[in-house]
Amino acid sequence: MKILLASALFLISAWAGAQDDLGPQVPAVKMAPAPVVTAVQGKPATVPLSFRVASGYHINSNRPKSEFLIPTVLKVEATTDIVIGKTTYPEGQDMSFAFAPEEKLNVYTGDFRVDVLVRPLRSVQAGKYIVRGTLKYQACDNAACYPPKQLPVSFDVKIAKAPPAPHKNPAQSPHAHP
Amino acid sequence: MKRNPLILFFTAAIVAAMLFAGIRMARNNRANGPARGQLIGNLAPDFELPALDGKNLKLSDLRGKAVLLNFWATYCGPCKIEMPWFVELQKEYGPQGFQIIGVAMDDASLEDIAKFAKEMGVNYPILLGKESVGQSYGGVSVLPTTFFLDRDGKLIAREFGLQSRSVFVDHIKKALSQGQAVQAQK
Repeated sequence: MKILLASALFLISAWAGAQDDLGPQVPAVKMAPAPVVTAVQGKPATVPLSFRVASGYHINSNRPKSEFLIPTVLKVEATTDIVIGKTTYPEGQDMSFAFAPEEKLNVYTGDFRVDVLVRPLRSVQAGKYIVRGTLKYQACDNAACYPPKQLPVSFDVKIAKAPPAPHKNPAQSPHAHP
Repeated sequence: MKRNPLILFFTAAIVAAMLFAGIRMARNNRANGPARGQLIGNLAPDFELPALDGKNLKLSDLRGKAVLLNFWATYCGPCKIEMPWFVELQKEYGPQGFQIIGVAMDDASLEDIAKFAKEMGVNYPILLGKESVGQSYGGVSVLPTTFFLDRDGKLIAREFGLQSRSVFVDHIKKALSQGQAVQAQK
């Protein structure tokens, strides 16, 4: 049993030693699993995409306050069946950091949500479709910045059949009946 | 079947060694250059890059001078804090044979980098960085990353992220006092 325990500790310390050699770790923005949004043929629907910035880091908002800063941008690949509409970004937070206490930066920290408008074509067959894209962001912490990254993004859109058009009454004679 | 504890231990030791070596190798391959830990104490990898004025600058041409090599980017807030210090340090230690080199590691246009450098009043060469140069320094995944070279071109220190001004001063003094050129003068 002691030998097994020693072996386990040995493995863990080897792993830790190797990790330490990797140098500073690059922060990550992660995407939460996107809900499957149902959209009716020809009708728009909003897909909410949730992201999380790792604790201790911030990324620029979609509208940073300096021309030199790299904004967070979601790029969704065009599809033949679904029209990709407007992307709505949240307001960033105005924050100051230790490296520039007198300057306010507009950033995202923690959880934030980006909404994507989708509109399936009327002619699209009902079913589940995968939409892909990338979230480009550039992260910093209190003492350093990290090169821009592209996070792969994907979400499912379930397309439902449009309800049948309401039955129109047959045209009536314009003449007034006595 | 009875397990021999010694065999178990040796198996675990071999697995641990392979794990350690595998991660190191993967990291080195990813960086396509030396591991960070292998850089210090060795000759700085040489490179030749274009400067903002259009002329090329070769690192090894600065042999005989102590060099501060600063990897930075226009989008990097902490880098902006260091730049005014570098301007002062270049003025203060330049006459003793000290040279700061900035290597811009972003995708911004030449015009934007030049505009940024002008706004910051930079008085030292700014080079347009390449990924391959960053890789030769172990991969520059954190900005700012700053290296210090002695007069022989040997890397004597490296700092990740924003540091206090006194840290830079200590490294500069050390870099100025080291190297065969200094020994020859004594």
